[in-house]
Amino acid sequence: MTGFVAFLQKELLEIRRTWRIWVIPGMLLFFGITSPIIAALTPALVRSMAAAQPGVVIQLPDPTALDASAQFLKNLDQFILIAIVIAGAGVVSGERSSGTAILVLTKPLSRGTFVLAKLLAQIVLLLTATALGTAACLGVTAVVFNASTGGRLVTAVALWFVFAALLIVVMTLFSTVFRSRGAAAGAGLGFYFLALLFSNWAPAEHYTFLGLLSATRDALAGQAHTVSLGWPLAVAVATIALGAAATVYIFERQEL
Amino acid sequence: MSSPEAGASAPAIELRGLTKRFGDTLALDRVDLVVRPGMVFGFLGRNGAGKTTTLRILSGLARPTAGSAHVLGHDVARAPLAVRADIGFLPDVPALYSWMTAREYLDLAGRLFGLDHAIVAERTDALLEMAGLESVNTRVGGFSRGMKQRLGIAQALINAPKLLMLDEPTSALDPIGRRQVLEMVASLRGRTTVFFSTHILADVERVCDAVAILERGRVVANAGVDELTSRAASNRLTLEVEDVGGAAAIAGMLAGRVWVRSIETAERVLRMSVFDLAAAQREIPAAIAAAGVPLRRFEIDETSLEDVFVELVGGASR
Repeated sequence: MTGFVAFLQKELLEIRRTWRIWVIPGMLLFFGITSPIIAALTPALVRSMAAAQPGVVIQLPDPTALDASAQFLKNLDQFILIAIVIAGAGVVSGERSSGTAILVLTKPLSRGTFVLAKLLAQIVLLLTATALGTAACLGVTAVVFNASTGGRLVTAVALWFVFAALLIVVMTLFSTVFRSRGAAAGAGLGFYFLALLFSNWAPAEHYTFLGLLSATRDALAGQAHTVSLGWPLAVAVATIALGAAATVYIFERQEL
Repeated sequence: MSSPEAGASAPAIELRGLTKRFGDTLALDRVDLVVRPGMVFGFLGRNGAGKTTTLRILSGLARPTAGSAHVLGHDVARAPLAVRADIGFLPDVPALYSWMTAREYLDLAGRLFGLDHAIVAERTDALLEMAGLESVNTRVGGFSRGMKQRLGIAQALINAPKLLMLDEPTSALDPIGRRQVLEMVASLRGRTTVFFSTHILADVERVCDAVAILERGRVVANAGVDELTSRAASNRLTLEVEDVGGAAAIAGMLAGRVWVRSIETAERVLRMSVFDLAAAQREIPAAIAAAGVPLRRFEIDETSLEDVFVELVGGASR
């Protein structure tokens, strides 16, 4: 693993110095701050729109801290997962097409170390950004609603994070398999939409990592998950390990 | 796996029957080549001759279809990390991280070799000075092509490599940038083996000790630069006479002699390529005297590497 720490530090410095610092961390912080505010304002906005339509009466319950957290989770499921797909599409293919990989991979840095350092850097970035966004969401919720969903939101976000980490590994694999960033992004979006499509199919929900998506909603609602989390978590961890191994295996056999 | 002779006594580069095929295209065709340690070796060939493919195999970026490639005694296919620990490599277009400074890039390069922090810092200072970048604090994205090329060479030297491989290091540089890069290469003579691919013949004449010429994936010449040029120079003669028809008359008299390889005439000038220079020097003056043509000039040509290259590669392309 010669050069692992040096290359990991390069990855983290690259995140700080380039657009990557603004995308996922920026979006998570934005959603963390705005989700409680939008949840608080939505009923008033809907009522004012309804008032402009004669004869239309809309009754909405008063918003709660739970609505704020649900809004935040919805944003994670929709926007952040898509941002992970788009940002991850170029993680290997970008270095290969620009030629920057050649100079580092003609040093005693193995292809496996190259891939694993990139994976770890992305996961560290997402973990830090998710913690920041969740903390922002909890803080603004406390101010706006004078209440908190604390533990339930953290549990839900933790389950979401496992799925997001899996998506990072899948995107790194696609970025290695496909020479073009566009092809990797297309494959990643296909994976994402298929995951959403099959997440409500009972066998997939019970026995695959797709169960994590519905588990986040149950965790936030404070309900016991309708199925055991054992299988979804175990399959997710196994998929992460197999995906990382497959990425290394494929990259080691490619010519640059 | 490394061979028992891996180390100082082994050739810097040893290729045996090296073959690389891309689909139906044969990029390298049973290339045999040995580069001895300590020399600046020019790897010459036209665009598409197979130079970059050879360097990509040597640096572990590509795999041979057949044959073997050893670097400093290590088989590049079996011990790629051992090879990469001892080499410095500069591709034809060095893509550096644009968001880094030159100092940061050299620091990264040194740490990827697992070098001690103090050694990296010391070498970074020395290499930045050698590359003329010691006072440049802007990021690489703002560098000129020449600055990137010099930083590319500097990063290839951070591990004090036993073998430095440069792929077309001057091909896209202006004359000043080219001179700076060649001076850097020349300054390494005796300290490290330099394997230097190019299609610019003047660069090879200027800095290389020995040269191999690659054409259509095959080595068509391999010798010292002086040996190669003198070998060709000694076989070419130019004769100029006063009369317009005189050159043709002499050509007619000499044609058919066993030592004549070829004769070309143009008005008063006659150019010859010969197998036996001594015989030519003996018999040509006699032929001129017999023809009764006044002589203006008779000389053995000073042949450049370009003439050798054209003769070898031009002939192969016909």
